[in-house]
Amino acid sequence: MANIVRVNPGLGEEVQRFGADDVAKCYHCGNCSATCPMSKEPFLIPRKSMRYLQMGADERLRGNLEPWLCYYCGECSDQCPRGAEPGETMMSLRRWLTAQYDFTGISRLFYRSAAVEVGAVVVLGLLTGIGFYLAGTYLGGGDLNIYDGPRAFLPAYGKGGSFFSFGGVHTFDWAMGVLLAGLLGINCLRMWYFTMFNDQAPKVGIGAYISKLWVLPWHFISQRRYSECDKKTPWLVHLIMMLSYLTMLILIMFFLHSVHYGPEIVWQAHAFGYLATVGLLFGTVYAMYGRANKVNTYHKHSHASDWLFPVLIFYCAVTGIAQHIAHRTGFPALANVIYIIHMMGVVPMLVLEVPFGKWSHLAYRPLAIYFAEVQSPALLAQARARQSAPATARAA
Amino acid sequence: MSNHSKVGVYLCQQGPAAQSAIDLRAVSEYARSLPGVSHVEIRPTAWVPDPVQLADQIRRSGFDALVVAGPSPGHFKPAFARAMAEAGQSPEQVRLASFREHGALGSLDRAKAVVACAVHNVPFGLAAKLRHTVVNPATLVIGGGVAGIQTALEIADAGFTVFLVERSPTIGGHMAMFDKTFPTLDCAACILTPKMVAVGQNANIKLMVCSEVQQVTGAPGAYQVKVLHRATRIDASQCTACAACAEVCPPRVASEFDVGIAERRAAYMPFPQAVPNVYVIDGEACTWVQSGGKKCGVCVKKCTKGAIHLDQQDRVEEIEVGNIVVATGYDVFDARRIERYGYGKLPNVLSALEFERLTNASGPTGGKIVTKTKKYNKRKKAEEWVFDLAGAAPRNVAIIHCVGSRDTNYNKYCSRVCCMYSLKFAHLVKEKLPESNCYEFFIDMRAFGKGYEEFFERIKHEGVHVVRGRSAKVEARGDGMVLRGEDILSDQLVELPVDMVILSVGLQPTRETPELARMLGLSCVDDGWFEEANYNIEPTGTERGGIFVAGVCQGPRDIPDTVAQASAVAASVLRSIVGGHGLESRGDLSLDEIEKGARDLAPQMQA
Ligand SMILES: Cc1cc2nc3c(=O)[nH]c(=O)nc-3n(C[C@H](O)[C@H](O)[C@H](O)COP(=O)(O)OP(=O)(O)OC[C@H]3O[C@@H](n4cnc5c(N)ncnc54)[C@H](O)[C@@H]3O)c2cc1C
Ligand code: SF4
Ligand code: SF4
Ligand code: SF4
Ligand code: SF4
Repeated sequence: MANIVRVNPGLGEEVQRFGADDVAKCYHCGNCSATCPMSKEPFLIPRKSMRYLQMGADERLRGNLEPWLCYYCGECSDQCPRGAEPGETMMSLRRWLTAQYDFTGISRLFYRSAAVEVGAVVVLGLLTGIGFYLAGTYLGGGDLNIYDGPRAFLPAYGKGGSFFSFGGVHTFDWAMGVLLAGLLGINCLRMWYFTMFNDQAPKVGIGAYISKLWVLPWHFISQRRYSECDKKTPWLVHLIMMLSYLTMLILIMFFLHSVHYGPEIVWQAHAFGYLATVGLLFGTVYAMYGRANKVNTYHKHSHASDWLFPVLIFYCAVTGIAQHIAHRTGFPALANVIYIIHMMGVVPMLVLEVPFGKWSHLAYRPLAIYFAEVQSPALLAQARARQSAPATARAA
Repeated sequence: MSNHSKVGVYLCQQGPAAQSAIDLRAVSEYARSLPGVSHVEIRPTAWVPDPVQLADQIRRSGFDALVVAGPSPGHFKPAFARAMAEAGQSPEQVRLASFREHGALGSLDRAKAVVACAVHNVPFGLAAKLRHTVVNPATLVIGGGVAGIQTALEIADAGFTVFLVERSPTIGGHMAMFDKTFPTLDCAACILTPKMVAVGQNANIKLMVCSEVQQVTGAPGAYQVKVLHRATRIDASQCTACAACAEVCPPRVASEFDVGIAERRAAYMPFPQAVPNVYVIDGEACTWVQSGGKKCGVCVKKCTKGAIHLDQQDRVEEIEVGNIVVATGYDVFDARRIERYGYGKLPNVLSALEFERLTNASGPTGGKIVTKTKKYNKRKKAEEWVFDLAGAAPRNVAIIHCVGSRDTNYNKYCSRVCCMYSLKFAHLVKEKLPESNCYEFFIDMRAFGKGYEEFFERIKHEGVHVVRGRSAKVEARGDGMVLRGEDILSDQLVELPVDMVILSVGLQPTRETPELARMLGLSCVDDGWFEEANYNIEPTGTERGGIFVAGVCQGPRDIPDTVAQASAVAASVLRSIVGGHGLESRGDLSLDEIEKGARDLAPQMQA
C-alpha cells in the first residue's frame, strides 16, 4: 500500500487527446461513485480514476480495471456538481487503455488523430479493392460474369470447392482471422500483465482463475453486467448488436458453404444471416441517430472513433445486403463488383478496428470483468483487514 | 484629443446573457460620431485577438490610438499593446473603456459615455464630475433582518428619522428563527431581542411591518417612495397582545415563521417576542374575509379593546427620503429541486431552517429533537407526518453539506454559512441526544472566521463523525432511510441507516430581488445578488447615489459580517447627512454632460 506513486505531469494533457476534457473540474465530492450503479466494493468507479488522472498517476491508471466496469450510462455526469463529466472521462480512459495495451502503438496513433485513423481505413479500403480486383482477374476465374463455384471471379474456395480446399477467398478469411487473433491475443496478454501484476493488485492463485472462468463466456454472451444499469435500453441495443455481429462472424467463418452459393436460399442458415443483418442495421442506426442528436448524456461527446465504428458496420451491412440481392436475383457481374466494394469496408474494419480500434473492447471488457472477479475476494479481505468499522472517519 | 489623431475603436462582446445586454451596435454608431474616430468594429464573444493581424490593420489604417471597449476589456490589453508596438506606435495609446468598472453594464448611455471618455483620453472619473446634492435627512431601510435593524438603530440613535419597511409582521429576519448562533453558541434570541425591542421603542424609527416598497422616484438625496401597507386588520395602537382573538380563530394554516412545521391561526403573532408585539390577521386565511363578511368574525366580539377591523383595506403611503438602504436578506434553496435527497417525499428529511425551528425552545416540540410521527388530521381527514412531543428521538442523524451550493446544476457559489451552521446543528444534536450518532457529510470544511476552526475541532471532540464526501442519495428502506455516499478518504462506499437527515441548503437571492433592482435602478451580479459599487473598496455603496446594500442581499455572509457591513452603511448614510457636502453621485449624469466634461478636459490631458 505504501508504494510511492510516480507522477507524470503530462498525463492529463495526454488523456485529453483521447477525449477527457473536464477532469480538472472535479473536486472529489464522491457523488459519482455513490451514484454509479456499477460502483460496488471493492471497485468504486469513477471518482478514483478522476483522482489518478489529476495526479498523473499513470502506472496506477494503466493497471486499473475500473474504466472497463463502466458502461457509460451517464448517471454520474448528470449528477456531477462540477460538470467534470466523469462518464466521458471513463470512456476516454478506455480509449487510452486500449492504446496502452496495444504493443504496436497503432492504436495510440488512431485515437490521437482522427485523420490518421480515417486515412488508414480509406487507404486500406482502396488497397483491398485493388487487391481483390487483381486477384479476381489473375488468380481466380477471371470471369466477372460468374459469381459461384470454382470458376467464379472470386471463388470462395480453392480447386476442390470444399471447406478444406485452399486457395479461395475463404483461405484469405482464415489467414486474416488467425493474424488478428494473434495481435489481439498479445494485447490481451499485456492487459493481463498490467492489471494483475502491479503494486495494487492482490496476489491470486491459479485456483481463483479457474473458479471464476465461467464469468468469461457468460458475460461475453449475456452482457449481464451492462443489464445492471438503471437504464435498460442501451444494454438491449448493445446486446442485439453484439449477438448480430457474432452470428455474422460464425456464419462466415464456419458456415460459408451453406450461405455462399446462390441463387437458392438455404433458410436454415440464411435465417440467421437475415436476423443478424436487421440487428446490425438497427443497432448502428440507433447509435448514429443518438450521437447526431445528442439524445442521451452518453451521446453528448463523440470522439471520431465513436463514429467510425457504427459507420463501418453500417457500410458493411448495406453493401452486404446489396451484394446478396444482386447475387440472388441473377446479376452475377454486379454481385462481384458490389462484393469488392463490400470487402473494401470489411477488411479495414477487421484489420484496423479489431486489434487497434474500438472493436477491441469486445475482448477487453469481458476480460476486465473476469479479472475483477478474480481479484475481488482478495481485495475485499484486504479492505476488511484495514478498516474494521466502515466509514467512520472519526477524528481524534 | 489632438486633431491629428486617428483612433480605432474595438467593441468587444464578452461573456453570455447578462453582460451582453448592451447594444454594441448602438454604441458603435455613437462612437463613429466622435471626433478623431476613424474606424469602429464589433468583436464577437470568444474572440481571441491576434497581435500580428491587428498590427497589420493598425499599419494599414494608420491608427495612432486604440480604444478597446467591453465589459472587462483589460483581458485584451496585452494583445493590443503588442500589436501597437509591432506597428511602430506607442503601446500606451491602448485605452480601455471598461463597462463593468464604470457601472455601465446595464445602461447604454453610460456605456457610450465610457467610450467617449476613452476616445478623448480623459479618465471617466474626471469627466463625470461628482454632483453634490442636498440631502433629505430621512432614510428608508428596506428589510428588517439583523442588517436592517443594525443600520436603522445606528442612524436613529444619531438623531435622524428612519423608515424601516418590513414585509412580514415582525422584524428579526432569519436570525429570529435560530436557537443558537455559531461559533459562540450564544442564544440567538437573547442577543437579538434587545435590538428588536430597541427598534420598537426608538421614536426616530417609523416601523412599517406588513409593508412593501412599491415605487421609487426622484434623485439621490431626494427620493419619493410609495409604500404599500397591507391590511393587518388589527389596530396596532390598541392591541395588547392578549391572544384572545387567536384562541377563538378557527382556520389553521402553516406558520411561515416555523417554516411549515407548525400551524398558526388566521389571527396570529409570528412568535412571542415579535416586534411590534401585536397580533395581525392574515386576510388570505381569515374566514370572514374569504366569505366576504358572511361567516365567522368571532374574534371581533372577543377583543375587549375593539382593536379588530376586519374590513380594513391595503393603503399606500408616500414618504420622502434622502438615502435608501437595501437589506432584504435571502431565501434558502428549495431542496425539492434535488430529488435524490428525497426532501418533500421522505418525512424525516429536513431542510436546515426546519431543523432550526425544531431545535428551538419556541418551536413545536419546545426544542426537543424528535422524528416525525404519523397522525390523523381530523380537519383534513387524512394522515400526515407531524412533529409531536411523543415522537421518538433519532438514533442516527446525518447532515449533508452544500445542498444547492457549489453545484453547476444549481448555485455555483459557496453559501459561506452552511458549513458552520451544520457544525452548530451537530453540536445541538450531540448536546440534546448524547446517545445518538451524528454524521457530517461535507466536501470541504469552510471554517474561515474568528474562532471557527476551533469550533470545528470542538465539534469533532464531541464525537461527531465527519465524513469527507458529499452523499449522493437518501432512500426509503423498510421503515427507515438509507443514505448512500462515498467516504473519499478511505475509498469506501457508505450505506448508512439514518433516522433523520438535515439538508444544509444554501442561500440565494430573494424572489423579489430582480423586481426590486429594477425599481431602484440597481444591477445584480450573475449569481443574482445586488451588485456593489466596487467589491474591494466600496462594498456597501451602489451605482446609484444614496442607495446602499447591507447584509446577505449583497452576497452570502454570516451574522458578524452582516452587522459589520450594516454599521458601515449607517456611517456612509450619516456622512451624507451630517457631512454638509451632501451626496456624491454620478449615476444620474446624462451622456451629454459626461461627453462635454471629457471634451473640455481633453486639451489639458494632452499637455
Ligand atoms: C439555517 C441557517 C442557520 C444560520 N445560523 C447562523 C449562525 O448561527 N450564525 C451566523 O452568524 N449566521 C447564521 N446564519 C446566517 C444568517 O442567517 C445571516 O447572516 C443573517 O440572517 C443575515 O441577515 P440579513 O438581515 O441580511 O437577512 P435576513 O435575516 O434574511 O433579513 C431580511 C429581512 O428583509 C425582509 N425582506 C425581504 N425582502 C423584502 C422586501 N422586498 N420588502 C420588505 N422587506 C423585505 C425579510 O422579511 C427579512 O425580515 C444562518 C443561516 C441559515 C440559513
Ligand atoms: S467527478 Fe463530479 S461527481 Fe465525481 S467526485 Fe468529481 S466533482 Fe464529484
Ligand atoms: S457512466 Fe454510469 S456506469 Fe459509468 S461511471 Fe458513470 S454512473 Fe457509473
Ligand atoms: S383580542 Fe384584541 S387585543 Fe387581544 S390580541 Fe387580539 S386584537 Fe389584540
Ligand atoms: S459553506 Fe460549506 S456547506 Fe455551505 S456551500 Fe460552502 S462549502 Fe458548502
